[in-house]
Amino acid sequence: MLLELLHGSDSGGFVLIRDSVHYSGRHLLKSFINAALHREEHVHVLLFEVGEQELIYGFKEIQRLHIHNAYEDPLGWTSTTDLTTQHFCLNYLTKILNETSQQKASILVIDSLSWILRHVSTTTICSTLHQLKKGGAVKTIMGLLHADMHQKGTVGSVCHLATSLITVAPGKAGDNCTAMITKRTKSGKVLQEEHALKINEDLTITVLKKSSNAEPAVHEELQTDPTANLTFNLRLSDKEREAKEKLLLPFMFSNDKKNAFLHTGTGSGQILYEPDANDDYDQEDPDDDLDV
Amino acid sequence: MAASMSGVDNTEVNTPSINLTSFQKKTRSKLLSIPGTRPSVQNGQLLVSTGVTSLDFLLGGGLAVGAVLLIEEDRYDSYSRMILKYFLAEGVVCQHELFFGSAQDSPDDILQELPSPIMDDVAIPKPVEHTRLSAEPQDRVDAMKIAWRYQNLPKVQSTLTSSSRFGHYYDVSKTMEAEIRQAARCHYFYLPDHPKQTMSSHSPTLESYSALLKSLQEVIQKEGFAVAASSAKSRNILRIGLHSLGSSLWGDDLCCCDNPKHPHALTNFLYGLRALLRSSLAVAVVTVPSHLIQNRALMGRIAKLSDTAIALESFKGSERETNPLYKDYHGLLHVRQVPHLNCLASQFPDHKDLAFKLKRKQFSIERLHLPPDLSETVSRVSRGEVPRVTSPASTCSLSTSTNKDLDF
Repeated sequence: MLLELLHGSDSGGFVLIRDSVHYSGRHLLKSFINAALHREEHVHVLLFEVGEQELIYGFKEIQRLHIHNAYEDPLGWTSTTDLTTQHFCLNYLTKILNETSQQKASILVIDSLSWILRHVSTTTICSTLHQLKKGGAVKTIMGLLHADMHQKGTVGSVCHLATSLITVAPGKAGDNCTAMITKRTKSGKVLQEEHALKINEDLTITVLKKSSNAEPAVHEELQTDPTANLTFNLRLSDKEREAKEKLLLPFMFSNDKKNAFLHTGTGSGQILYEPDANDDYDQEDPDDDLDV
Repeated sequence: MAASMSGVDNTEVNTPSINLTSFQKKTRSKLLSIPGTRPSVQNGQLLVSTGVTSLDFLLGGGLAVGAVLLIEEDRYDSYSRMILKYFLAEGVVCQHELFFGSAQDSPDDILQELPSPIMDDVAIPKPVEHTRLSAEPQDRVDAMKIAWRYQNLPKVQSTLTSSSRFGHYYDVSKTMEAEIRQAARCHYFYLPDHPKQTMSSHSPTLESYSALLKSLQEVIQKEGFAVAASSAKSRNILRIGLHSLGSSLWGDDLCCCDNPKHPHALTNFLYGLRALLRSSLAVAVVTVPSHLIQNRALMGRIAKLSDTAIALESFKGSERETNPLYKDYHGLLHVRQVPHLNCLASQFPDHKDLAFKLKRKQFSIERLHLPPDLSETVSRVSRGEVPRVTSPASTCSLSTSTNKDLDF
């Protein structure tokens, strides 16, 4: 599922990468940007947290990458830059998106949402994101959110808006990371997967291991098989099975009688007689040869 | 009495008849007979089906007219949205009028997603009693050889059903056809269509909520749903569905902060909504994303302000998903509050452990029953609750395994 998201095969929606102080999600975000650039799509990045040099380090071709830099002056104190946190609203964003790429819808990357959440109210951001999600100027929105910087409710509200939520955590060894992906389809279904990944130098992703459900906490109890080491035989051979099937049990009736029991009839009693093995059911009337 | 329960549309209540005697039957006050409703067997209240028959049974026959049903959403808002769609679809089938308020979906979206009703009348999943077995019993997969007298009985009687049929069944894999949908009259409130006006900060409620309440009041007044309105035309019920109230898209920061700026906005709205509904022929279903609300006291207040409150907890994404006890179900259903309208005692459901399952033709709510625990390491200490698959349980069972020799 991660590879599908990476290749952008399902368009639309809001991909949110949620990271923490233990593992930064920026590498994953850069891999997404890299994949989008390879697909020849226009990517607009709203940069709040890192400088421009640090962002473009590692990208090969940056022709379609448009960076809107707010790193130096995010709050507009020196009024030199034209993008501040207050500019995160629908009108301004559609304006800057339309002026660079006219024909196709582009991808908007927000690095990071946490910065904006510190300065603008959550409700405004949520409504802006919701309107951007629906509008035509943006094909996909990708955002980075630091989960430990905000209150649980804030993180929850923003994650509730996301169509795909990727939570990254440090992996077992070295540079690996585990990513838990939750995706909500349009029909309301929710899919979840967990991957162990390694992000290479050239910003491609190798998926090491994939599991479709979070593995349950492993506590293995050695359950001894009680049917082993018995002094009697529990299995049946084929002949024995046949003999068992053929055995006539005492209350086994014919089908008619069973049906009559199961569906009690229309009222009038029926007498169904089946001769038992012990009954002396002789068709001939023994009184026939009496000369009376 | 029989005439009013047949649900026939009566335009004139007093039909003149020739009186042969001077005896005049003392008639009661006119019982409203509106298609799609029936009086409750407990207290004579007019009831409306929610669209989910198991939920009707849980609520004591149906949703009372003039009451509010609060649904606390599950984590990904899939099942609560489904119940809202069932509610609106039931309104379309019963020819009630609809009102849908949302900040998230445009009204066309939700109306196109309504499930299609199953039209044949025999689609009731009765427990199998009178099926005619045409094939041989041995040919059926579950035919029993020795205990054949029991083969037609269901394994466990766990679905909640009532004997009389009130609601309809829907097929969720298909959407409602356009002709049926367009026959229904719908009113909408879509928040982005209502531009923000600056309001003074002293008002106790948010402008989105007051705009919604005002719009509801207008619809009720204009279309004649108020009980006190003159009954010139035949009466109908207004079904109100409000999606995800309290979420940040409504402009409410209840879900975002621990100390919201307008803590009483939603509670004020619910109070006003209930007051409005008590004097009109309308029913409301409201969904609230309670998993985002951090302040539990506030959640308690919200539940108290509605008549019935249920909470859905879906297993998706939680650690309960892998629990083998829950593998047949999609989630748990908790009843937070039952209504007591015009009576002292309320109708509590018998069983507190309820689980739900969304099947293609039915949303069934069943009693959660545990299979017998046949493992060797069952501890002798009685555990009344549903056992959890977490480490305390494993240590509990491991400790008894050392005493295995003493258990016999």
